[in-house]
Amino acid sequence: MTASAKKPIRKRSRHVALFLAGTAVMTLAACEEEKTDAAAFPDLESCVAEARNGSLFFTEQDCQTQFAAAQETHLETAPRYESKELCEQEHGAGSCETDPAAQNQSGGGSIFMPMLMGYMIGSMLGGGRGVMSQPMVRTAQGGFATPDGKQTFANNRGTGRVAGSTFTKAPSTVGKAPMTAAQVSQRGGFGASSTSRTGSRSYGG
Amino acid sequence: MKKIDLPERPGWRDRAQELGFTFADMGGEPYWEETSAYHFTLEEVENDIEDPCTALHEMVREAVVTALASDEWLQRMAVPEAHWDFVADSWKAAEPELYGRMDLAYDGTGAAKLLEYNADTPTSLYESASFQWLWLEEQQRLGVLSPGTDQFNAIHEALVARIAEIAEPGTDIHFAADKSNPEDYATVEALGWAAREAGMGAHFTDLAGIGLTKEGQFADDEDRVIGTLFKLYPWEDMLRDDFAQHLASSGTRFIEPAWKAVVSNKAILPLLWQMFPGHPNLLPAFFEADVAGAMRGEAPPSGIARAFEGAADMLRAGHVTKPIFSREGAGVVIHQSGREVERAPDDSYDHHARIVQALAPLPEFGGFYPVIGAWIVGETCVGMGIREDASRITHNLSRFKPHYIEG
Repeated sequence: MTASAKKPIRKRSRHVALFLAGTAVMTLAACEEEKTDAAAFPDLESCVAEARNGSLFFTEQDCQTQFAAAQETHLETAPRYESKELCEQEHGAGSCETDPAAQNQSGGGSIFMPMLMGYMIGSMLGGGRGVMSQPMVRTAQGGFATPDGKQTFANNRGTGRVAGSTFTKAPSTVGKAPMTAAQVSQRGGFGASSTSRTGSRSYGG
Repeated sequence: MKKIDLPERPGWRDRAQELGFTFADMGGEPYWEETSAYHFTLEEVENDIEDPCTALHEMVREAVVTALASDEWLQRMAVPEAHWDFVADSWKAAEPELYGRMDLAYDGTGAAKLLEYNADTPTSLYESASFQWLWLEEQQRLGVLSPGTDQFNAIHEALVARIAEIAEPGTDIHFAADKSNPEDYATVEALGWAAREAGMGAHFTDLAGIGLTKEGQFADDEDRVIGTLFKLYPWEDMLRDDFAQHLASSGTRFIEPAWKAVVSNKAILPLLWQMFPGHPNLLPAFFEADVAGAMRGEAPPSGIARAFEGAADMLRAGHVTKPIFSREGAGVVIHQSGREVERAPDDSYDHHARIVQALAPLPEFGGFYPVIGAWIVGETCVGMGIREDASRITHNLSRFKPHYIEG
């Protein structure tokens, strides 16, 4: 028993944290990134059609240039897998193809990568980079992502504001050994709430 | 201990909204309810709640040593065998605990009785530490309560001090919860503010968004490696999830530490009773499998015969059975004088082993049954929050009631 210990006269805190700001504030307010305008398109045609409307920050010429650039970036940086199963596990059934770059090498042909499913162009006003692009691939959840998987989007058509880093080119994967199952980074391994038969309404209590 | 009718603070619902306390009403029913409050004397708080709960936590720590040293106990607690070393190592490494909530039956007279110890993922933290505190301050300002009143609620300051004690300054701590559950989220945000005040970085990540890097570390939903993880997600589930195989090798430091798997487990109740039989703050408790026959009048197994005989009359007068894992009152069944008198509607944990615990009838105040939630931060009881229910099984839709100390 601690009865002999000296207890504070006052039984309550002098101050408390009263404000529940919601997830936005808890998610790393420390490094708030500059956002940039971006537009996503499933193909070159839809970009051109949008550019002709003239309502956005890019021209028809940008569409052409950036689509070509995105194709190149995709070929260079898309994740590469040692099997079709593994690729489809990460990007969904029917979203993978053999690596065209590997076709020309001896012993190639058994490397798989996600297909290019669209591209995103952004207006990089800072740093004088002008208009930039990123390829988009499918995710296993049915959404879309940049090749390194860091930025995910619900769909491959629309406009919005994204972090500038979205347009940072991912490391090159071309000519590198494809990923094995063990190397594929995974998500969602927590939260199955297996001790409850029905899954949990709340994890707390 | 009394229940006192008091005027509500004008506009408190707007204030709650403003502060982000969005679940003050749940399912159309008031969850925060201040048309009355519980009044305690300082003596009741210190002698009947604070000191006994600090002592109970110390007993729990002794029970952890016993459980971790025994294959049989680990088995009975349903800790997956593959992780026994992981759980035991966290204790050997003296990984410090952060917080927990002991639920007690107490009526202002005899000894408070420990119903269970949610030592891993207790919620209602924001209501207890913050909104309840604001209620007292504002009721004093409005003249509803006298300036001499107080509240057993040093929770926030104790959390700040404890976090500063258990982590290096500037440590980045990730807080994981289910972002779609406002109650769970509020609890981790309350902890997040305490962490920031303690000089730490606090970052929220959705639990389901946690990933595994190629190096086998855990990463948040933005691919930042997680060094220290507070998870509002129970160990018994962590140890059974797909990522369980990576827990030990991830290098992540977990809060609560893994040894809480044997504390926040209702099997600790029979263990405590075995180690401290007759303790005034404990209720007799056994595994149902051990005493089911004896409850029907057969001879109890030799190992627990004496203990059972000593508690038999109490158990027959009234007892509760509950699964070793469950949340929010799920799976609780109350028996009195040989008949089942009440059963929780939620049976989603009923496939687990059950314990039998003597019934400590909750007191009734104006048609409601209050349960005291005594908050432990570190190894000390530092505050309390009261939930009451119109039913004798406190569940998720019970109401939170403020309390104050006077006299």
